[in-house]
Amino acid sequence: MPGEEVLALRKVTFAYEGDVLALRDLNLTVRKGEFVVVLGANGAGKSTLCYLISGIVPHIYGGRRQGHLTLVGIDPWDEPLYVTSQHCGVLMQDPEVQLFMPSLGAELAFGPANLGVPREEILRRSKEALALVRLEGLEEHNPRDLSGGQKQRAALAAVLTMQPRVLVLDEPTSQLDPLGRWEVGEAIERLKQAGDLAIVMTTHESEEILHLADQVLVLERGEAVLQGSPEEVFSHPDRLERAGVKTPALIQAQSRLLTLGRRGAALPSRVNLGLEAVAEQIRQEVQNRRLTVLPQALPPRQAPAAEAPVILEARDLTFEYPGPPAVLALQEVNLRLRQGEFVGIVGQNGSGKSTLVRCLIGLLRPGRGEVLFRGKSIRRLSVGEMASRVGLVLQNPDYQLFSASCREEIAFGLRNVGVPDEQIEGAVEQALRTVGLEHQADLFPFRLSFGDRRKLAAAATMALAPEVLIMDEPTTAQDQRGRYQLADLARRFHREKGGTVVMITHDVDLIARYAHRLIVLYRGLMLLDGPTREVFAQVEELRKSFVVPPVAGQLAQRLSALGVPPDILTLDELFQVLVPGGIQEGVG
Amino acid sequence: MRPVFRYLNLDTPIHRLHPLVKLAHVLLTLLLVMYPIREGDLPVLLVWLAFSGVLWSVGRVELRRFTTLLKILTGTFIFLIVIQGFTYRFGRTPLIVFGHLRLWEADLGVITKEGVMFGLVLCVRVLVATSSLPLFVMTTSASAIMTAMSKLRVPRVATFMFISALSFTTLLFEMWGSIVEAQKLRAFDIDRMNVIKRAVRAYIPIITPLILLLFRKANDFQIAMETKGFGAPIEPTEIETLHARPADFLWLGLIVGVFALCTALKFGPWL
Repeated sequence: MPGEEVLALRKVTFAYEGDVLALRDLNLTVRKGEFVVVLGANGAGKSTLCYLISGIVPHIYGGRRQGHLTLVGIDPWDEPLYVTSQHCGVLMQDPEVQLFMPSLGAELAFGPANLGVPREEILRRSKEALALVRLEGLEEHNPRDLSGGQKQRAALAAVLTMQPRVLVLDEPTSQLDPLGRWEVGEAIERLKQAGDLAIVMTTHESEEILHLADQVLVLERGEAVLQGSPEEVFSHPDRLERAGVKTPALIQAQSRLLTLGRRGAALPSRVNLGLEAVAEQIRQEVQNRRLTVLPQALPPRQAPAAEAPVILEARDLTFEYPGPPAVLALQEVNLRLRQGEFVGIVGQNGSGKSTLVRCLIGLLRPGRGEVLFRGKSIRRLSVGEMASRVGLVLQNPDYQLFSASCREEIAFGLRNVGVPDEQIEGAVEQALRTVGLEHQADLFPFRLSFGDRRKLAAAATMALAPEVLIMDEPTTAQDQRGRYQLADLARRFHREKGGTVVMITHDVDLIARYAHRLIVLYRGLMLLDGPTREVFAQVEELRKSFVVPPVAGQLAQRLSALGVPPDILTLDELFQVLVPGGIQEGVG
Repeated sequence: MRPVFRYLNLDTPIHRLHPLVKLAHVLLTLLLVMYPIREGDLPVLLVWLAFSGVLWSVGRVELRRFTTLLKILTGTFIFLIVIQGFTYRFGRTPLIVFGHLRLWEADLGVITKEGVMFGLVLCVRVLVATSSLPLFVMTTSASAIMTAMSKLRVPRVATFMFISALSFTTLLFEMWGSIVEAQKLRAFDIDRMNVIKRAVRAYIPIITPLILLLFRKANDFQIAMETKGFGAPIEPTEIETLHARPADFLWLGLIVGVFALCTALKFGPWL
C-alpha cells in the first residue's frame, strides 16, 4: 500500500540569479518509505533539486522559482531554514565540511539541541542514529579521526538525529573508496528497509544503489528526460547515454546480450539487477541456443618489451608516519617500472597508494629503502627537479590553481623549471591544445568546470615534459562523459609519446580498460603485482583488500563452465565471446 | 603533523576540572600579562609559566604538538631580544659595542644587558600569554565549553564560532600542507627559498588557492550548519550538565593563590 505523499513538485522551474536556468517543468511525487534515485550529467540540475527540496534555495543561494513544491505540507521557499530542517535532512558530498564539532557525540546533538529538543530525547536519538550507521562507542572520538566512510556515516547520523521525514542525499558516496561506498550504501539500505523516511538521492554510481530504487529520475539540462521504475528507465540505454548517464554494466550486458539473443527484441520487462540472476539468464539463453559461446583466446594487453629500461624503481621502501600513534604506511615495497608501461595501482584508502607515489616523486623521504630514477637515487634531487622527470596529477586541481588565466597557470611551472621565455609560449599553446582548452586560454581557471580544471592541472603537469606520468584518481566526482577524459590523456601520453603511466584509482573498469599491469596494495604491502588479467583472476586475494573485479569479469567467471574465458575484463570482450545463436551456425 | 588546539579525550584531573575553573586560569593569565611591564618582571612571569607547565603536565598535553609553533616563536624571540638589546631606551650596561649611533634615548650601536633582559621578559610574556588557551580547549569538550559559556551568558553564536574556528584551524593546516605540496610538484618549493624570496613572491601561489578554497568550504559549512537548525529562535538545549566538586574549589583556590603570589611579587614593597 503506497505511503502518504511527503514531497511533491508540480511544474517546478528554477533559475539562479543571472537567469541561469537550472530546472524546467519538473514533476515529482515522493511517498513515505519511497527511494528515488536522481541521475544526470554534471550540471543537469541534480544538486539544484536537492537545494530546492531542502530550502537551501532560496535561503542560501538565491534565484527565481515557478511552480509548486510541497514538503510535508510546507513550502520550503516560504519557511525559514530551521523550520524546513525539521522535515528535511541533507547529506552532501564532502563529509569534511559537514562535521564541525570536536566529538561525534557533540556533532549528533548539534541539530536537535539547536531546536531545543529535550536532552534525554537527544541522547536517545543519538544512540539510535549511531546504531543505525554502526558507529556505536565512538561518541567521544573526534570525527576528523574517522575513515572516509565512517565520516560520511557520522554525517548521516547527525542528519538523522533531526528526525527528518525526507532525506536528501547529494552524491554521498562520490568521494569515498569502495569500502566507504559499501558502508554508506549499507546504512542507506537499512534506512530504506525501516520505511520511515522518503529518500531522494543523486548519484553517478547507480550500480550500487539501483536495486533499492522505487523510482528513477533522469535529468538533462534541468529537464526530466526519463522517469519511472528502474526497469522502465533502464530500458532506454541510448537515451541514458545521450543524457550522459552511466548505464550499469549489468544492464548493458542484458541490453546487448538478451536483445541480440532475441534477434532485436526489446529488453525483458523487468531488468535484473543481481549478478547471479543475470548470469542465470545468460545461461538459459545459451541453453536455448539464442546465444552462443565462441571460445577464443583473448589478445594479451600491449605491454612494453621485457628489455625496456627500468625508469623508476623502489627498493625496500618503508615509510612510517610519526605518531602518536605511528602509522606504518609502506612495508618493504619493491617495484620496477619499465619505460612504456601503463600500470594501475588499487587498494583501499590507507593501503599506501598515495604514500608510495609521494615517495616515488620525492615528496616524502622513506625511512628505509630508496627510490631510483633511471638507476640513480633521487635522494639529492628536489621535488621541483623531479617534477620534470615524474609528473603527478593530483585529485583536487584547486590546490594548485591560482593564476589569472589558464595560459599563466601552465607558464608558471615552466618558468620554475627554467624553460627559456621564448620557448614558454609555444609549450603553453601545445599543452592547452593537448587537453582541448585552447579556446579558454585567457579565462580565469576557477571559472572552468571541475572537469576542465582537472584537465588544466594535467596540462600544467604534462607541459613539464615528464617521462613518467602519475594520475591520482582521475575519475573522482566525474560524470559519465568526464569520466575517461583524463585517462584518455594518459593513454595518449603513453601511446604517442611512449611515456610511462601510473594510475591510482578505485575504478576497476578504468583499470580493466587501460592498464596492462596491476598492483594491489594492502596495509602498506604489495599484495599482488602482475598482468591485469592475472591479477583480476585472483578473486580471493582481491577480496582481502576489498577490490572487486569488473562486472564483465565477474559475469565471465560465473559463465566459465559454458566455455567463456574467465579472464575477460571488459564488456566488449564479453560481447565478442557471447554472440547470437545464428552467428555460430554461420561460423560453424 | 598532529593538530594543535584539538580536544584530547583523556581522563586527567585537569580534564575533570570544571570548565569555569579552567576559564579562570585563562582570564587570570591574560590579566597577568596585561600588567605594566618592567625588565625585573622575569621571576613573576616564570612563576606563572612554571605553574601553567604543571597544569599542562597534569593534563597530559604534549608539548611536541606545538613543535612547529615553537619553532616559529623561537625565530620571533631571537628577533625580539636582538631588537630590544639595541633599542631599549633604559639600557645602561653595554654587552657588545658595534659603534655609536644615538637615536633619541637609545644608542643603536650597542647591545645592552638591560635591553636583552627586557627582550627576554617580552618573550616569556608571550609564552605566558599563549600557555593558557591551549590547555583550556585541549582538556575541555565542546559541549562542556558551550554549557560553561552559556552559564556566563555568552551568546551561543559566539561560543559556536569559537568552537568551529578551532575545527577550521585543523582544516586550514591540512589545506595549507596540500597546497604547498601541489606547488612543489610544479617546481615551486617555498621550503627551499630564503626569507626575502618567500616574502616577495612565495605566498601568492599558496595564499590565493587557500583563500578561494576557504570561501568554498565556508559556504558548505554554512549549509551544513543552517540545515541543522543553527540560528533558530529557540532556546537551545544544554547537553552537558556541570556540577562543581570540592576538587574544583581546591584547584580554583590554588590558581587564585598563585596569581596572588605573582601579583605580590610584582607590586610588593620588596621589589
